[in-house]
Amino acid sequence: MRRRKPKSSRSPPAVTTVVIMRLYIADAAPNSLKAVANLEAICKDYLGDSFKLEVIDVLEFPLRALADGILVTPSLAKLSPAPVAKIIGNLSDRSNVLSALGIKQ
Amino acid sequence: MSATKSKPLERNQRGERVANGRILRLVKSGPELQALESGQVDAVLDAATGTAYLLPDAQRALSAAGGQIANSLLAALPREDYQSLLAELEPVPLTSGEVLYEPGERIRHVYFPNDGQVSVLMVVADGKALEVGLVGREGLVGIPLALGAEASPVRAQVQGSGSALRMKAASFREALARSLPLQRELYRYAYAKLVQARQTAACNRFHPVEARLARCLLTTRDRVRSDQFHLTHEFLALTLGIRRVGVTNAATALQQRKLISYHRGNIQILDRKGLKGASCGCYEILRNLAS
Repeated sequence: MRRRKPKSSRSPPAVTTVVIMRLYIADAAPNSLKAVANLEAICKDYLGDSFKLEVIDVLEFPLRALADGILVTPSLAKLSPAPVAKIIGNLSDRSNVLSALGIKQ
Repeated sequence: MSATKSKPLERNQRGERVANGRILRLVKSGPELQALESGQVDAVLDAATGTAYLLPDAQRALSAAGGQIANSLLAALPREDYQSLLAELEPVPLTSGEVLYEPGERIRHVYFPNDGQVSVLMVVADGKALEVGLVGREGLVGIPLALGAEASPVRAQVQGSGSALRMKAASFREALARSLPLQRELYRYAYAKLVQARQTAACNRFHPVEARLARCLLTTRDRVRSDQFHLTHEFLALTLGIRRVGVTNAATALQQRKLISYHRGNIQILDRKGLKGASCGCYEILRNLAS
């Protein structure tokens, strides 16, 4: 299990609430790598320092993912602020991800 | 990664995934099934066994990252031939838009892409260009060198970012002279590219733009292994040898038939079977040649 520290952004964050997310991946498989890269770009562009991201490798922790209701990877769970949301896939549809995270474009 | 907790899906004698039924039972509907069908899933979790099952593409990619060879030409070489090349192969990034060769320019390096795509463009006198080939992990950029030419007749420009292993021209010529398997692979590849170019020339002459656009999107889909990708209007116009407005019209027609969604270069294939139906028969022919 890896924890990523928020990176500082050059532009001011569009939100001030801290967004707490959990990303479920399968090691360095292609869609998992894409999901990490896409999410990092979104965090940098929209969240600045206002996020906490936990990355869970389901190949190492399958039971943890199952307990969280995850069926496939990559999956992103937004835990806070409410409402919770789940986004499935490599997060390449940016507008869909932003909408699920409650970020206004 | 825990070896006991991750299992690749098995295949039956016809190469089909025997665990397909398992996946469909686990992933019945909703966004999970949608993501699975659009090739965006790496692994499926089975609550009954507490196991993560890797999909074959993910399994292959992880094996490749573990020391196997991504480029198909290099992967096809006997181990000792490949190892003799290793010292001369230099990993380099491929950045979208980067020009590797201009027409008439001396070839200084050849490139074996690991991923990403390099577009091969024929530039005519008035500066207009037409894509006459595309090289990905299955091939080599710099084939003229293998056929005895020193200069590139075409522009080679990176169209999809990735990485490659490159080799200096002099080292490549020496390697080619001493390795019969490398010669065999490169000549086979050069022949396939020649047939592809002939097929594409006929396709460009006789088939309607909409069918050619469908063919181009399906080919790109096979290369990037995803139903979602980015292709600019400009690039598609180069590929199809038409004006941008022609791309717009053809893409709109495919969109109206709900085969694709297309917005500012972001393409999603919504109905792969339908898109195959809309493309010309050249897609299957080129696909078979590529494999």
